[in-house]
Amino acid sequence: MGNDRYNAVVVGAGPAGVTAALSMAKNNLSVALIERGKYPGCKNMTGGTIASMPFSQILPEYWKIKDIPLERRIVSDELWLLDNDSAVRMGFTGKKFGMAPYNKHTVLRYKFDRWYADQAIKAGAKLFCSSLAVDLVYHKTGPLAKKVDGVILEGGDVIHADVVILAEGAQAALTQKAGLRKRLKPNEMTLYVKEVLELPAERIEDRFNLERGEGASIGMIGFPTSPGIGKGGIWTNKDSLSVIVGGYLNQISGKGLNPLGLLERFKGHPLVKRLIEGAKPIKYMGHIIPKGGFKKIPTLVDDGIIVVGDAAEMISGRRGMDLAMITGQFAAESVAQACALDRYSRDILASYEERVKGSFFYQNMKKGKSTEAYFNKHQDSDFLITKAMNDFGYKYFEQNLDSDKSNLLKMLEELINMQPLSKSAKDVLFGLQNWGVL
Amino acid sequence: MGYFNKTQRDPLELVTIIPDEKPHIFIKKDSVCIKECENKPCTFYCPSRVYYWEDDSIKVLYERCIECGACPYGCPYDNIAWQFPGGGFGVVY
Repeated sequence: MGNDRYNAVVVGAGPAGVTAALSMAKNNLSVALIERGKYPGCKNMTGGTIASMPFSQILPEYWKIKDIPLERRIVSDELWLLDNDSAVRMGFTGKKFGMAPYNKHTVLRYKFDRWYADQAIKAGAKLFCSSLAVDLVYHKTGPLAKKVDGVILEGGDVIHADVVILAEGAQAALTQKAGLRKRLKPNEMTLYVKEVLELPAERIEDRFNLERGEGASIGMIGFPTSPGIGKGGIWTNKDSLSVIVGGYLNQISGKGLNPLGLLERFKGHPLVKRLIEGAKPIKYMGHIIPKGGFKKIPTLVDDGIIVVGDAAEMISGRRGMDLAMITGQFAAESVAQACALDRYSRDILASYEERVKGSFFYQNMKKGKSTEAYFNKHQDSDFLITKAMNDFGYKYFEQNLDSDKSNLLKMLEELINMQPLSKSAKDVLFGLQNWGVL
Repeated sequence: MGYFNKTQRDPLELVTIIPDEKPHIFIKKDSVCIKECENKPCTFYCPSRVYYWEDDSIKVLYERCIECGACPYGCPYDNIAWQFPGGGFGVVY
């Protein structure tokens, strides 16, 4: 491996890195894909789902590809405002999402990433597993100028390449080392833990009101991480459920919350318990998500180097994996152009940055910034919205002996007692925006 | 909702980890944990219970790490140095 030279070396075989490698290999570029795990996906975690529309652009009609480890096609998406023994539920079920071209598929990353990396290998990329890239190699291009020219592996081997694509995930060690990304603060990341629980397919379908192969996802706010801001969630896989809980790290750390304790408590909630009853836990995992948002987007390109996916903090609301794939694709296109010109300087690779800036998710991230600032200032919003909505629910649906008018007044009074109405209104508005309802 | 205790369940009963021979997590300055850090949040925010407090210092069981990435950021004193374990080592989901 010592003297090998490639058109590109990709650090990290997750969705971003594999997409970049796959696309470049299809363009007949030589690609080395470096993965620190024993196999791709073995350290990765998602809620979660892959989005069909973006993924179809990379692998058209991917659901027809042999052996693809898709779990279920999501037809039902719900958001629950969960309180101690009640829930306000919002949701949508659409049969069309159960038919090609679909909307989302649940996946388990330890299966999916491995399969996906195989597609890149088949296209001609070279995968090196159990290989940790510890530093970048630079090449002098002038008296004061240098470009990134490859990576150094633990043990000292060097892989040279015209361009290095960093797809190293949330921790982003090399991206930080290269000075492209600033250190995140604990209020700029979320920490999630997850359990996978086995349950026979028929029981999942009965329980979640699904036809064969259909899937459901339920996001829940309020109770799961109260008194902090965070989320719980349940996704249906083929014959297992994914259950996650997590929230902003500063709140978990500052409010004395233990992630596994939160997970246990969430699983014990009366409305959650009935969904996972009889399911056997088989996996436990945890991971951070960079939530620095728009203002913390790293420098995306420099001479000979491009940053994609979580390393580039390409997270917008609930979306991360598809943005990873899209940025991987963008990077591959820019590298192909650079190779055609045989020029790898920042101004050439900047076409990647332009693609990102012209994308829908960049617009979304830009819009999301004020919500984040708000949540940093008002850490209790989720909890308060949930509380208020559930109190409202109990009152609204209660068949009592008072007049409608006096009931309405009572409800208003309780709402006003909790906090100023204007704040409640803001909480609801920003909350719904944050959770992707608006 | 009030304070609740850490669960007694062992987080690692469902996890496979191949520990590296050398540690990949270090406490930068023990004195910071003793003198400045009152609540020792690493002992509860870590999802796999890598950290515990014993005899006036934080002990680090790096073999228990599931590489979630939270610890260097969650420490209020930036007192944890964390790096990736060697290639092929660490957690295998």
